[in-house]
Amino acid sequence: MNSQHIFRDFDKAIDALRADVLLMASLTRQNLERAMCSLLERNIDLARAVIADDSDVDDLERKIDQSGMEILARFHPMASDLRLVVTSMKMAHNLERISDHAVNIAKRSKKICKSSVLEEVGLAEPLYSMADSILRDSLMAYTDANAELGQSLKARDKELDRLQKQMVSALSRRLEDSNGRSENLLHLIFIAGSIERIGDLAVNMGEDAFFLGEARDIRHESRKNLTLDPTEESADD
Amino acid sequence: MDTAIEIKNLTFAYSGKQVLHDVTLDIPVRQVTAFIGPSGCGKSTLLRCFNRINDRIPNAKVTGGSIYVHGIDINRRDIDLQELRRRIGMVFQKYNPFPKSIYENVAFSLRLSGLTKRTQLDEIVENALQSAALWDEVKDRLHSSAFGLSGGQQQRLCIARAIANQPEILLMDEPCAALDPLATLKIEELIYELKKQYTIVIVTHNMAQATRCSDRTAFMYLGKLIEYGPTMQIFETPKEPQTEAYVTGTFG
Repeated sequence: MNSQHIFRDFDKAIDALRADVLLMASLTRQNLERAMCSLLERNIDLARAVIADDSDVDDLERKIDQSGMEILARFHPMASDLRLVVTSMKMAHNLERISDHAVNIAKRSKKICKSSVLEEVGLAEPLYSMADSILRDSLMAYTDANAELGQSLKARDKELDRLQKQMVSALSRRLEDSNGRSENLLHLIFIAGSIERIGDLAVNMGEDAFFLGEARDIRHESRKNLTLDPTEESADD
Repeated sequence: MDTAIEIKNLTFAYSGKQVLHDVTLDIPVRQVTAFIGPSGCGKSTLLRCFNRINDRIPNAKVTGGSIYVHGIDINRRDIDLQELRRRIGMVFQKYNPFPKSIYENVAFSLRLSGLTKRTQLDEIVENALQSAALWDEVKDRLHSSAFGLSGGQQQRLCIARAIANQPEILLMDEPCAALDPLATLKIEELIYELKKQYTIVIVTHNMAQATRCSDRTAFMYLGKLIEYGPTMQIFETPKEPQTEAYVTGTFG
């Protein structure tokens, strides 16, 4: 995949596609970080910036789809090149959805910030740290076509799910005795849901990175059946 | 999956220079098998071994291994070459109709084999032209010169000519290399239809064509068979780095 193509224009098109995915990834992570900062630091301006900048992410998704289609039509990529183009288009789709979740978080953060201080927002911080680290590694798995890293994310997402359930359970208990804070606590529950979904989307990207590196589709396979080398699997049988 | 052609450890040389090295593969019945690879890799040489058309080239010979067609060793000395070439038809890169009428092009080899009854000839010619998807275009001018047809039609006429002999296997050596994209698509559509009845082996430089119309693909390089498998596996997830480099068009 890192070799040069005889047709140099193909290299340029592939490099540009990959650069757009990385730019989109960086904007998406920035949007998510700012949405969480607005929540944790009660900064409404940051929340507004996230909502406004989401259109840049949408534009990049369209651009990546268009470039991908052009590459498929013009260069007829095969093997690892074909996987790279298809994976890049799928990454763009997942990143756009992550950015949408960042916008959801920002919108709810705006509402929370307009009310009195809600101490429980701190519960979302460890959740965000874990989701962001899964997201970061899914992007690294794509950049390096690192199948092993891509495959490892599912287990970490399980821990994220557990933390989210724990947080929702804690918030639900406080809802019963909320003293007029119930609306904001509900916003926080939905924010936890968004973060949990971001983890799922990052796992999807990790699975796509696995496909990119190993040419094997591991979506919807149970964790215990996964090995990097399919021959190892049959040897065990 | 029944095997039409079984190639075992085949080696072949032109004037002592070995051009095929220890090639082993099975070609399945009623499927399309594509040979791909850079120029000079031996794919056409291998194809031409199947009907022993290489015998016509001085000092070209199989130097080892074997080829069995439906269980018969075709390199046996007592093999009837005329019968072998009837059973294994061939279509070449440059369409080569005879300087005769459309009808006579298809009927020619039938007459050579002793068939003279007009009604039988008419029936076989019509069936062959139908199978080659040419009948509707030429039925009103069967006795006009074949050279009046377009390139794509002339190539389909050559396919009809091969089919008229009721072969079991059709060999196609870059059959669309001299055709425009539309004529190419018509031949590809025809190949798809013909595989219901015939085993087809096609040599092509056009990888998109191999993906469109073949079931299995063999990648050859420097006279060796590098990888052979289902077409989509070869083009989506090749196992050998050389295949990957070739299908992606990379170097370095």
